Amino acid sequence: MPEFFVNGQPVRFEKGQTVMQAALAAGFYIPYFCWHPNLSVAGNCRICMVEVEGEGGGSSWMDIACNMPVTEGMRVLTDSEAVRARRKEILQFILLNHPVDCGVCDKAGECVLQDYHYEYNGEPSVSNVPKVHATKFHPLSSRIILDNERCIVCSRCVRFTREVSKSHGLGILDRGDTSLVRATGDGRFERDPYSDNVIDICPVGALLSRQFLYKARVWYLKPTPSVCPGCSRGCAIDIWHRKPEWKLNALDPKLNARIERVTPHAPAAPRGGDSHGAATEDAGPWICNKARDLARILERPRAEQAMVKGKPVELAVAIEAARRLIADARRPVALVSSWGSNEELDAFKAALGGRVECFVKIDHQPAPGEVVEDDFLIRADKNPNTRHARALFGDRAPQLGGADLVIVWGEGFDFARLPRGAKVVFLNSYLAPENGHADAFIPISVQTERAGHYTNFEGAVRRFERCFARKPTVADAEQVFARIGQSLVSFASP
Amino acid sequence: MTGAKVIMSFPVTPTSHRLAEYEARGGYATLRKVLGQMRPEDVTKEVTASGLLGHGGAAFPVGRKWQVVHLNDGQPHYLCANADEGEPGTFKDRWILENAPHLLLESMLIASYALQVRNAFVYIRGEFDLPYRRLAAAVEEAYAAGYFGSRILGTDFSCDVVVYRGAGSYVCGEASALITSIEGKKGYPRNRPPRLTVRGLYQRPTVVNNVETLANITGILRDGAEAFRKIGTPKSPGTQLVSISGHIAKPGVYEVEYGYPVEKFLFDDCGGMLGGKPLKCIVPGGISTKVLTRADIAGLTYDHKAFEARGSQIGSGGMIAIAEGTCMVRLLQVMLRFYHHESCGQCTPCREGMGWLHRTIDRIVAGQGRAGDIDTLVRVSEANDGTTICGMGDAAGYATVGIIAKYRDEFEYFIANGRSKFDGRLEVDLGQAAEAAYA
Amino acid sequence: MTTLVATPIPNKTGSMRHLLPEFERMKARFPAGFESSLTLPCLRRIQEERGYVADEDIDLLVEYLGVPRIQIEEVLSFYTQFRRKPIGRWHLQACRNVSCSMRGAERLIDLLQKKLGIRAGQTTPDGRFTLSTVECLGSCGTAPVVMVNDAYHENIDAAKLDALLERLT
Repeated sequence: MPEFFVNGQPVRFEKGQTVMQAALAAGFYIPYFCWHPNLSVAGNCRICMVEVEGEGGGSSWMDIACNMPVTEGMRVLTDSEAVRARRKEILQFILLNHPVDCGVCDKAGECVLQDYHYEYNGEPSVSNVPKVHATKFHPLSSRIILDNERCIVCSRCVRFTREVSKSHGLGILDRGDTSLVRATGDGRFERDPYSDNVIDICPVGALLSRQFLYKARVWYLKPTPSVCPGCSRGCAIDIWHRKPEWKLNALDPKLNARIERVTPHAPAAPRGGDSHGAATEDAGPWICNKARDLARILERPRAEQAMVKGKPVELAVAIEAARRLIADARRPVALVSSWGSNEELDAFKAALGGRVECFVKIDHQPAPGEVVEDDFLIRADKNPNTRHARALFGDRAPQLGGADLVIVWGEGFDFARLPRGAKVVFLNSYLAPENGHADAFIPISVQTERAGHYTNFEGAVRRFERCFARKPTVADAEQVFARIGQSLVSFASP
Repeated sequence: MTGAKVIMSFPVTPTSHRLAEYEARGGYATLRKVLGQMRPEDVTKEVTASGLLGHGGAAFPVGRKWQVVHLNDGQPHYLCANADEGEPGTFKDRWILENAPHLLLESMLIASYALQVRNAFVYIRGEFDLPYRRLAAAVEEAYAAGYFGSRILGTDFSCDVVVYRGAGSYVCGEASALITSIEGKKGYPRNRPPRLTVRGLYQRPTVVNNVETLANITGILRDGAEAFRKIGTPKSPGTQLVSISGHIAKPGVYEVEYGYPVEKFLFDDCGGMLGGKPLKCIVPGGISTKVLTRADIAGLTYDHKAFEARGSQIGSGGMIAIAEGTCMVRLLQVMLRFYHHESCGQCTPCREGMGWLHRTIDRIVAGQGRAGDIDTLVRVSEANDGTTICGMGDAAGYATVGIIAKYRDEFEYFIANGRSKFDGRLEVDLGQAAEAAYA
Repeated sequence: MTTLVATPIPNKTGSMRHLLPEFERMKARFPAGFESSLTLPCLRRIQEERGYVADEDIDLLVEYLGVPRIQIEEVLSFYTQFRRKPIGRWHLQACRNVSCSMRGAERLIDLLQKKLGIRAGQTTPDGRFTLSTVECLGSCGTAPVVMVNDAYHENIDAAKLDALLERLT
């Protein structure tokens, strides 16, 4: 494999790589705003300039690393005096008109400009001309606010809509230092189901999420790796919530255990050091806006009270009632949740698979107005674990005729379809009128209250971690199945 | 007069631009010869041997640019004539478009043959009116006479030309921005690599040449590289169409043979300074070239090496003569306002830097200059040198440091006293009669 | 010689669909696959016809050329010659760059502003004149220069200016 040199060290490279790609892969950091591993090269920020030593005694030259093809034997310096001086100048230019908004800017703490200022510049602006003012709080869409003063016109957002989401919803209007990022007049950015990714990739606080605006400082939050349950693709996400040591004692406990925001799962920051969750750095995997709105699904009013025929009871009482009903049933049928984790589904199979006729239930259908399927990430199956459920229980349509007990696990079942006289054991996370009609109702935890795995439509198994503690009155479905299964075994069937 | 004539070699009349008169002067005979007797690579060899340099400002050897295009590589090649002519002080390509459009067209046909170009373009700035109409009419004449289209003059060579009008952007005179504009987009320059001769218009090999550069091609192929080299100097063969304006008695376009004495040109051929005022300095060739004082041009000859030796450049040949008493701070202010207006805004140093320079000098001219302002102007200029996507950032920087280097005292005076060292006007005082006209 | 008085700038409403056959002829001059290149020439033709470019014209071109809408919006905002709103019948564009300023453009512009009673960037209330200051027009040898609509008026002085304004009704 051919070699070149970075700061005197030999580095292997592949033909066709740029200095930026080869250096980063070898662990040498070169700063960048406009470059992104998943977007085309724009080469406009100019901060990635590096020095190349001249060959055969010739003088050295400088150019941007993101567009510089590696040639064998070239000697690149990423931290020489000249490079450092150049970086300072570029940062001075960016500081020229950049508003000193850090105190009120959501991006503080995960802002690439802040990080580079401390690392590479450290001096205040030398300018004594008034800053150019531009629109603050421009409504780019109903989800995203744009602050044109903070914008450094790196064009990442524009390239994203051109190359990744292909909505062509954004562009840069006008020219010079009055250039403005804007959405087209026909609303296509508003309709872009991937629009919010531009918030992550914006290196500064120009593009802001309305739902996250002013909610929390990022250093009070921690990202927990999870899997999006919005469809069967199961994108890797980070769910951000308050760090336990930063909980707000004076306020409603709900505020300490809520989803503050959702971002694509980011790998560890390449520079190491204190990572506040580098959601803006190299967040290559994209997610759709539904993932951003997971709180709408996962934080709906919760069922927290076990019931028997609508009467509140202790959890253990409801579980015992369920066990009894299952033991006594002559023809029990189960509708298994396609939102169950691999572990929960396995436990159900082990506990009841031999005893109960099981069908897989499609908990969620596409909602009116929701994108059903596209040729990028969004899948028509709006459930995270249909694949594993079907692997265990087949894909036959549910047949409820003649059943005397129906075990309904999860949402999406129309109770009007219950056979006459059949009893119901219902396990559900959310408040619903049907909860009170069940002969035994067991409230169960949601994804954020446990760890587990989903299997996506292609068979990829992805792990999600626990974010919050579940309430003591709420059961863990996996444990419920295990308990019922254990006790059923002791009642050996004839 | 000002040496040998290659382009302005015929008397201009109300009809001399038309096809019939061009043919009567021998027009299109060279095309016929080239198509009948030479292979494409022979044409490029001849152009290379002539040592012809680009006339758009960079003075890049034309043959070397053409050689990068691989013949018979199975993909389309494009030729673009750069008629954007936006550089302040430059108006010589316009002369060719108005008076010798067929010379440009014949040259483009020869170049297209050499480069295996099937579709050629002339990118003409949107503001040009008469030059556009004359060029468009010449194109129609040339098509009607069979010089464009399929199987030209009975050979296998086919070529079409489109005159593409710009819409008001100086940066579209930069080759990669010009190409992006022809693609129907904003005139954003491109980073290199790749070179445009490898991936240009719609990612195909493209040669962009200035109008005057191309206009030289016909003569080189007609009389040969040797004959061309006899004109001018060894390192600067041929001639330059010099646009001269400003405080000069006879402004206009003059064809100057390289090597011609600059003082003779200014004080004899151009009639000397307006109102007989002493010469203060010249902008040699476009406002990004470093100004040369009266002392600097003593004994200076008009060629690339001589200008470089005096710390400046030939550039685009747009010369501006400035009389004593003109405020250089105000002059720089006009230039920086221009650069600020024309910055495309893509890259950080130019986008922010042009505004910084302009706002700083505006403050100086408003009488509120501060001690560190000159250093700021120089610092911002140097930070734009070699750091930008295209040469515009550098250009503004050179204009700034060039003027400050020679006239720092004027800037210091303005800052210290809140006003110009002179009367602050950019015009020459021509006495009462001229003033009355503006009452 | 420059043309004398050009034609006044129109201000029309209604669809520009009738220009499509002309666009087809323009397209035929370009190689195949160059639809995107038609953006500038089509916008120029529409502006000639209407006096400016309206939102419905953008819709028309998106449909006809198949280019992303954002490309057209960017082009309209980037190039100085394109207008999104109607202006006066006579667009006076006075160069204020180096050579023109050295030959009297600054005072000429002052004079124009006084005579018309408007500042650069504005239109007279009767809709007759719009005044703009522009950068170098490539006419430095015949400075100062004022462009009126499409035509260059060179070697302008105060007297010529009066005569010119009178002819522009």
